[in-house]
Amino acid sequence: MAEAKRALTRRDFLRTGTCAAVGSVIGLPLLKPAASKAVEQSRVVLVRNKDVLRNGANIRAEILENMLDQAMCSLLNVPDAASGWRRLFKPDDVVGVKSNVWYHLPTPGELEAAIQKRLVDVGVKGENISVDDRGILRNPVFQNATTLINTRPMRTHHWSGLGTLLKNYIMFTPRPSKYHGNACERLGAIWQLPHVVGRTRLNILVMLTPHFHGVGPHSFSERYVWPYAGLIVSTDPVAADTTGARIIQAKRNLFFGKESPISPPPHHIAVADSRYGLGCSTPDRIQLVKLGWQEEVLI
Amino acid sequence: MKGVFLDQITTVFFAICVAGLVLFSTLSAATLESLGDALPKKVMGWTKAGDDQIYDDQTIFEYIDGAAEVYRAYGMKKCFSRRYTHSEGSAIILDIFEMASPQDAFGVFTHDLDGDPLDLGQDALYRAGWYRFWKDRFFVSMTIDQESETADQAARELGKAVASLIGMDGPRPVILSYFPSEGLQSARIRFFHDSNLLNTHYYLSDENILHLNSRTDAALASYGGSRGSAEVLLVRYPDREKASRAHKDFLAHYLPDADAKGFALLENKRWSAVSLNGELLAVVLEADSRLLAEGLMKEIMEKACESR
Repeated sequence: MAEAKRALTRRDFLRTGTCAAVGSVIGLPLLKPAASKAVEQSRVVLVRNKDVLRNGANIRAEILENMLDQAMCSLLNVPDAASGWRRLFKPDDVVGVKSNVWYHLPTPGELEAAIQKRLVDVGVKGENISVDDRGILRNPVFQNATTLINTRPMRTHHWSGLGTLLKNYIMFTPRPSKYHGNACERLGAIWQLPHVVGRTRLNILVMLTPHFHGVGPHSFSERYVWPYAGLIVSTDPVAADTTGARIIQAKRNLFFGKESPISPPPHHIAVADSRYGLGCSTPDRIQLVKLGWQEEVLI
Repeated sequence: MKGVFLDQITTVFFAICVAGLVLFSTLSAATLESLGDALPKKVMGWTKAGDDQIYDDQTIFEYIDGAAEVYRAYGMKKCFSRRYTHSEGSAIILDIFEMASPQDAFGVFTHDLDGDPLDLGQDALYRAGWYRFWKDRFFVSMTIDQESETADQAARELGKAVASLIGMDGPRPVILSYFPSEGLQSARIRFFHDSNLLNTHYYLSDENILHLNSRTDAALASYGGSRGSAEVLLVRYPDREKASRAHKDFLAHYLPDADAKGFALLENKRWSAVSLNGELLAVVLEADSRLLAEGLMKEIMEKACESR
């Protein structure tokens, strides 16, 4: 630790207000509002199709592709999906698709394939597209990427409360554990790193079979997965995560029959808005468009 | 001069004891592989399914993702994983983590203390489909994906079998003995080495102002009862110099307003204090009153003096 640098401590939090749950990270107030200019409003598309899952689990690729197309049309207000993809990507782009390989709940291969297909349709060369997770810092496409697509399933998470789109970029740092403090509050800082900042054009939060409660070392149990059959698509990762988090919270309350806060609280989402200016974390600033199947939509 | 010589003798004696303890605990219990071989293939209606898996401190990320950092912070060597399934579809997942030492197995057990206590291993807890216990240098976890009375019974039987195969008990961390006993919530003590883990249990700082690392033993305890409530952190450093540097940095970054005795009134009207005795740093993080902080600190320092 550098002698000259003054550490940010619990006492700084105590000075800003009351600390509701002393002795625990839960309840620590957030420090420093609005270091960056806040995004005024963001559009988020939630698209669901109950037929996308065969027997509640196996994905039907053609329906998933169609859901993605629907979402792109609505998100960008264009008549067809191809126009939407052309608006966000150019043929000479080098595109890193940041996926998630966690074997209990990975980004579906069918979705990765659909994304690659649409990029090729735009004219992006196959060799300039790469889907990767843990190897991104060594991956030449990611090293030279002009643009990024961020996609992962939402799930509860040991350190951050929720595995979010914001959290998905932790592999852009050589030492992910550096960001675990205070329930991963500082994840937004990763999005300001030179090789990341301003490159993400599309965020796809996979809500096909979200995981809403963690148990044991794996923080996973099939008991706490349900066939929601949805995708959340936005250019704003914070707004997409906020929407996903609301659905997870509603599912927890419904399942447990009482208010069951996500633990630890995923306050990195709000901090990404208030401190890092990465997007909208309050529902009043999110224009949510709901498409498709509405039964038990939870939001 | 004589005092310094005695100190050196004490240090050498302590080092030999620790080395002996580590060697003993390493040699005396089963290996993870032998444990795996001896495990029952069937427990009540649940039968071993698929191949057993062994993960090391790198491949563990493929298995449990970010939470692997917790186990690595306690010197995880290997993890053995087996799945038992029932004909009706439910599964019990058994994970046995071999840690660097019994103290580390205890430590990883204390990372999550929510649940009801059980009589299994050296300490055990149960919460909503998750059984876990520690014994010797092993932390054992059993998760049930569909809870039922029979699945719970099978998990307990499996746990007993694993505990029996491990055999001997292991020692708890020595640092726990410095906590004053009155008002101590002994079932809520956390043991760790890493500043990230401290921040998980009690957010202190974005910088490692206490210089915690794999060679420091730290324990966090809560106090309650008629004297009032308090949070106490103890850290034992490898040598006095490191302890002294941590003491200085803690004062500079966290208690710059401390008085000559190391006490300060926090913004939430609770008291904090820090004191040093050789390699042991004691921090009363928060106490209801100065009187309580003084009492706790006095008792800790007396225990530290007695042990020297």
